[in-house]
Amino acid sequence: MSEFKSGFFVGGDACNGRVLVVDDEPDIRKVVKMTLQKAGYDVLEAENGEKAIETINSGENRLLLDVMVCDIRMPKVNGIEAIAYFRQNYPRVPLIVLTGFPDTDMATSLLRQGVVDYLVKPVEGEKLKAAVARAMEQRELAPL
Amino acid sequence: MTTTHPTDVTPTKIAILGAGRGGTALLDLLHQIPAIEIIGITDCNPGAPGLQRARELRVPVVLQVTELIQNHGVQLILDVTGDPALGTMLRSHARPEADVLSGSASRILWELVQHESTLQAELLHAEKLAGIGSFAAGIAHDINNPLQLILGLAENLEDETDLEAVHAQAADIIAAVKRTTAICRDLTSYARRSASHNHSLVSLSARLDEALKIARYAVGFHDIDIVKHYAPDAAASGNPDELLHVFVNLITNAIQAMDSGGTLTLHTAIEPDTVIVQVSDTGCGIPPDLFNAIFEPFFTTKPPGKGTGLGLYNIKHVIHQMHGTIAVTSEVGIGSTFTITLPRTAQT
Repeated sequence: MSEFKSGFFVGGDACNGRVLVVDDEPDIRKVVKMTLQKAGYDVLEAENGEKAIETINSGENRLLLDVMVCDIRMPKVNGIEAIAYFRQNYPRVPLIVLTGFPDTDMATSLLRQGVVDYLVKPVEGEKLKAAVARAMEQRELAPL
Repeated sequence: MTTTHPTDVTPTKIAILGAGRGGTALLDLLHQIPAIEIIGITDCNPGAPGLQRARELRVPVVLQVTELIQNHGVQLILDVTGDPALGTMLRSHARPEADVLSGSASRILWELVQHESTLQAELLHAEKLAGIGSFAAGIAHDINNPLQLILGLAENLEDETDLEAVHAQAADIIAAVKRTTAICRDLTSYARRSASHNHSLVSLSARLDEALKIARYAVGFHDIDIVKHYAPDAAASGNPDELLHVFVNLITNAIQAMDSGGTLTLHTAIEPDTVIVQVSDTGCGIPPDLFNAIFEPFFTTKPPGKGTGLGLYNIKHVIHQMHGTIAVTSEVGIGSTFTITLPRTAQT
């Protein structure tokens, strides 16, 4: 089973992996999804941390979610809280922060918590895709 | 526990002689000070500007100088007429227990009043600029999000072949650019120094809505419900920039008091003689022992860097200048309501 790739489960289409994009702005989710889909990823969306936690806890996502791209400033459960939850409950899923507000202290603290990349909006498509590709290499497979 | 801001000081009773420029400036300053009661103002010219001002402020206008200076309660007579004959008359007719300030002494007082008013304007502006410092996170969020959309769509357009998609995405880019320019326009207009004598009839609900836009940069409105009860015609005479600053501060405080969400209620009402603005939150409330302190300069319960301690102090000053009052009711754990009462101005 060590050869398992999550893409095999997604409707038969070859897929580079499943990414959850968490941002309260529909525009951002739309454009990030557009970029990542073109690069062959299966993209899910959540509008805040609470929805992100719901998403990963539902059905096959528990096993098949590979990478999360997460904003910080959001209603309900914010990015910091969501990241703490994901690190504790899904440490195998690499986390990328995509934020509108560059804050060195926050970046340092998040990277210490195991966040693999800290990107500042606006980020070029190439950089975003490279960050997701790197994160995909770091993911650990879900124990079956 | 519910209480209001107290002003329980026994006031010094003051009479003002002279209602020209000096008398008017003194009147404007002194009537704002709770420790002072102006028992009357007089001038030999019935058309003097200070007399009209006094009527607006409901300060007694006395026609006879002797009647005013022999008033039994008077403790201090301020003579700003510059008339030597009046000085002689004061020495012979004023009640001996009343102090008299006249000549160059009252002129210096007037200079100090002018100086104080300049300092207040500077303080107001400095506090506003300090507040704008805390907008950085909100501005970055509101500018970088549209920029992300613009960049992502433009990258996609490079190889988009579907003409309909090209049109739709170009329209999205234009809308995003417009959103971004609106941010800069709002903020530069808010940050500018307000002209001190720019008084006009100000629509209170329009100013509250504008303040909501600005306050969003200072604090996150996540999980906040906004309820508006506006009397559409509620208006007051005042400086629109200063009033905006007052509302931004009150709304920012209200949101900061509601750490884990709540309801912000904005209310305007028209009474027979006054207009009322209320800003209410369902936040942490103000402990009774801090009630007297919150309007004092440099008082803050916010962490370092989050508040100057001058917000409510400046609000009180602006409202007093508009001849209004500000009061607060609050209950710990339930929320706070700030009520501004302003004189009603006839619609023009």
